[in-house]
Amino acid sequence: MTADNTSLVPAFVALQIGTRRIALPRARVAELIVSPLQYTFPHTTPLIMGVVMRRGRIFPVLDLGPGVSGEPSRSTRSFLIVERRIADVDEKCAIPIQGQCELVTGNMIAAEDRDGHVLGILNLNGERIEVVDLDKTIALGTANSAALISSAEASS
Amino acid sequence: MTQPAHSSLAPGDTRPREQVVVFSIGEYSFVISASSIQEIRSTDSLGGNIVDLEGSALRKVRHIVERDSRSYYVVSGYEHFRLAPSRPASVMILRGVPVAVLVDRIEEMAEMRVLVGLPHSFRGEERLWYRGLTVLGHKVLPVADPRGFLSTEELRRLEEENPGLLQATGAMRRERQPV
Repeated sequence: MTADNTSLVPAFVALQIGTRRIALPRARVAELIVSPLQYTFPHTTPLIMGVVMRRGRIFPVLDLGPGVSGEPSRSTRSFLIVERRIADVDEKCAIPIQGQCELVTGNMIAAEDRDGHVLGILNLNGERIEVVDLDKTIALGTANSAALISSAEASS
Repeated sequence: MTQPAHSSLAPGDTRPREQVVVFSIGEYSFVISASSIQEIRSTDSLGGNIVDLEGSALRKVRHIVERDSRSYYVVSGYEHFRLAPSRPASVMILRGVPVAVLVDRIEEMAEMRVLVGLPHSFRGEERLWYRGLTVLGHKVLPVADPRGFLSTEELRRLEEENPGLLQATGAMRRERQPV
């Protein structure tokens, strides 16, 4: 996937997850919302933090923190609505983000990635940002989350 | 009444309404259809015949209670939902399934106007626990599935471990009744 440097349409969304800045392909991002309330209830799915409601729609809140930075994200009111593919259907999810989001253009260069979740590197005025594959980052986060739980259980 | 997960909660909705009971366990509130509840009693006034299940196949089921010639497995709500121990003060005796559920508190009865499916991102046991999500008083609440408190498999395990106990509990009561 290579972004056209001359395109007027931003090809990526840069966002802050915990202490790390990453980018997602623009096509996966629907909107940025600010929701005052996040609703939680018991469940057993890793990475899911609850749900938020926006304009009568309910979105599951999915934490990319364990996949991106190896630790859960802090609570926030800002969420990026993204579309993921799960159970053979497309579903919109809310990703909690810290700081600001930017719509950016730039050339993505190939990156060496052991986990396979990085699509490439974006150079934004000297800042190198990883462009991640959403579904693979979720899978990585699920695995990291399970490892964190196992580690916590072993030490308790 | 089920809708896609992201369907709108349209005002002026003419779809059937459903009476529900809102109950709480720990810090969480849940909704359950009122039609699925036979009776709600306080744990202090439950009465009936209570049988301890020693070494139960399921940690969340430690007793059988028999009331009105019918027997029910008593499911701990906090154990079922994998929550921290709480102080159950009420028992919801369900209709159509041999289950009584210990809950902390009955909050209110209300009218549910919309039920949206649990988003596909939820992949765990909650898919068995809940019929979906609803919105009551601007809050999103899970709607408990009465059949989810004890699955067919869990009921089978309990029956295998305590063969005929449900029936025997009922028979004990019938023997005590004057002819």
